Amino acid sequence: MQYQVRKLADYLWELPQTGAMRVPARIYATEKMLPQILADNAPQQAANVACLPGIVKASLAMPDIHWGYGFPIGGVAAFDAEGGVISPGGVGYDINCGVRLMALKLTRDQIEPRMRELVNQLFRDVPTGVGAAGALSVPAEELRDVAKRGARWAVDHDLGSESDLGHIEENGCIPGADPGQVSQKAWQRGRQQLGTLGSGNHFLEVGYVNEIYDEEAAGVLGLFRDQVTVIIHCGSRGFGYQICSDYLDVMDGAVKRYGIVLPDRQLACAPVNSPEGQNYLGAMRCAVNYAFANRQVIAHHTRKAFAKALGMGAADIDLRTVYEVAHNIAKLETHTVDGREMNLCVHRKGATRAFAPGCREIPVEYQAIGQPVLIPGDMGRYSYVLAGTEKAMRETFGSTCHGAGRAMSRVKAKKVAAGRNVIREMEAKGIIIRGQSRRTVDEEISEAYKDVSNVVDACELAGISRKVAQLKPLGCIKG
Amino acid sequence: MSRETPVWLNFVDHTGDAGIWVRAGDLKELFARAAWGMFSLVTDMDAIRLVDVDDIELEATDRYSLMVRWLSELNYRHVTENRLFGKFEIIDIDEESLAAVVRGERLDPARHQIFTEIKAVTFHGMRLERGQKGWEAQIIFDV
Repeated sequence: MQYQVRKLADYLWELPQTGAMRVPARIYATEKMLPQILADNAPQQAANVACLPGIVKASLAMPDIHWGYGFPIGGVAAFDAEGGVISPGGVGYDINCGVRLMALKLTRDQIEPRMRELVNQLFRDVPTGVGAAGALSVPAEELRDVAKRGARWAVDHDLGSESDLGHIEENGCIPGADPGQVSQKAWQRGRQQLGTLGSGNHFLEVGYVNEIYDEEAAGVLGLFRDQVTVIIHCGSRGFGYQICSDYLDVMDGAVKRYGIVLPDRQLACAPVNSPEGQNYLGAMRCAVNYAFANRQVIAHHTRKAFAKALGMGAADIDLRTVYEVAHNIAKLETHTVDGREMNLCVHRKGATRAFAPGCREIPVEYQAIGQPVLIPGDMGRYSYVLAGTEKAMRETFGSTCHGAGRAMSRVKAKKVAAGRNVIREMEAKGIIIRGQSRRTVDEEISEAYKDVSNVVDACELAGISRKVAQLKPLGCIKG
Repeated sequence: MSRETPVWLNFVDHTGDAGIWVRAGDLKELFARAAWGMFSLVTDMDAIRLVDVDDIELEATDRYSLMVRWLSELNYRHVTENRLFGKFEIIDIDEESLAAVVRGERLDPARHQIFTEIKAVTFHGMRLERGQKGWEAQIIFDV
C-alpha cells in the first residue's frame, strides 16, 4: 500500500483529506515506527473512517495501530453527537476489553519463593473460559442486573469493595444500559461466563514494579520499586461478542435506510440519535457493565488465590485496585474543538482514555497527576503505567495507546515456537506460565508481539501521555 | 493436533486473528469441511466422540451469510451448551438455506483440550466460490 504522508511533527503524520474523506487521518508514531505501520492496511482503514458522517477534527491512529475489522485497532474517532454516527465496528467484538492494575504491599522477594504455588492456585481459581469449571452461573433475571449495574453488582454480592469501585473508569458502571436491546443469544452466551478470562491475548499476570519514571505520580498511585502487582486483561466475553455481531447486522440495514455511503461495508453505522444508534448504545453499555463486573469477579478470585497460596487470611491480603481502564468502547463526552464545546461520541478501539490532571472523571486522589493508563505488553517483557495529559485533551480527545500489537500471525508464532519449550524458556527467565494448552502459550510468545516500549515512548514524545512506571512479569495465566 | 491437517484445509496467516481455507467437490462438502476446519482451531478433532446428534436448519440472504450463520450457530451451541462437534453432514443446501445433521459430544475437560475460543465468524476477506477444481472458501475468525 502506497500512502501520501505529510510530516506534521517528529511524532505525528498526516494522510491529507482527499476523495470522500471529511477530515484528514493522523498517525502518532516515531519516524522509526512508520515503515512498519505503512506496510499494513491500517492507515487506509484510518482514512476510511475519516469518510464517515459527522467525524470531527481527524481520524486518529495511536502508535500501536494495526489492522482491524473496518476500523483499525489503535484508532480514535469522535463524531458529533448531533449529526454524527455510532458504529459497532468502531468499538470491536470485545466490548470494554480492558485492564485492571492491582498492587500489594509485598515486594517481589517476599513472593518469589511461592510463585509456582501462586500461579497454580490462580489457574485453579480463575476460570479461563469454555470448558473451564468455576465460572459463576447467573440466572437470566440476575444477568440483567449485572448489565445495568456492572462492578457494583459484584460488590453488592460481596465480591469486592467500595474502594474497588472508586478506582474503575466510570466507577465500574456506565449509565444508560438498556437490557431490552440485548438479544436472547447474547444473554445465553453471557450466562456461564461471568468471572472468566477468555482466550487469545487475555491474561492474568503477577509482576513487580521494575522502574519508576515519575516518583511523584508513582507515589500518588501508591507504587514503589519491587512492589508486587497484578494485571487483569479481559473483556465482556461471549456476551459482548454476540452484541457486536447482532448490531453489525442491524447497522448493515441502517446504512441503506439512512443513505450512508461507506468505503468498506464493515464500517456499518447509524446516526447516534437514530433508533438503531440508540439501541446499539443501550446494548453496548450492557456489555460495558458486564465487562466491569467480569473483571471485578476475577479480582475477587485473585485475592482468594493469593491468600491461599501465601498462607494468609483473605483480609490480610491487601491487594488494592490501583485503577481499571476500558480500551474498546464508545462514550458520549464533551470536548473543546476549535474553541467550541461539543458533545461527541468518542470511539476508542484499541485505545485508552487518558484524561488530564484535574478532570472530574478521575478519582479525587489521582487528580493532581492525571488519569492512570495501563498498557500491557507481552508475557515475556514488560507493561507500563502512564498518566493522561492536557495535550491529549487538546489533540486526541483525551486518548492514548493500548498495547503492543502483534508482529506475527498466530500461524507464524506457532511455527517459530515449534520444537521449543516456551514454558521452560520462560521459567529460565524467572516467569512461570500456565495456559489452557501449550498451543495457546506458543501463539502468545513474546516475539510474536511488537516491543511495547516503542509504543509508550512515542506517546510520551507526542505528549499524549507520560510514563509513570514499568512493570515486569513473574508469572502469568493464559486462557 | 494429533491428526495431520487434511489436504483440503489450510490455516490462513492473518496477523491477530485466525482463518481457514477449505476446498471441496461441491457446496455440501464445502460447508461440512468449513465446520470441521473451524472446530480444528478450537480442539483436537480426534478426541471428539460422535455420540450426540443434532439437526440444524438455517436460512440466509446469500451463500456468504449462510456460511457465517452456519458456523456461528455451531460456535453458539459449542459455547452455550459446552459441546464439541466432529462430524458434519449437509443433507440439503442451496444459496439461501441449509439442512444438516451434526454429531459430537459434551465437552469433557479431562479428555478435551480447548486451544482457543472463537469470538465471531466474520465477513472479512471471505471467499466462497466455484473454481476449476471445485468449491473453495476462506473464512476469517475473530479469536
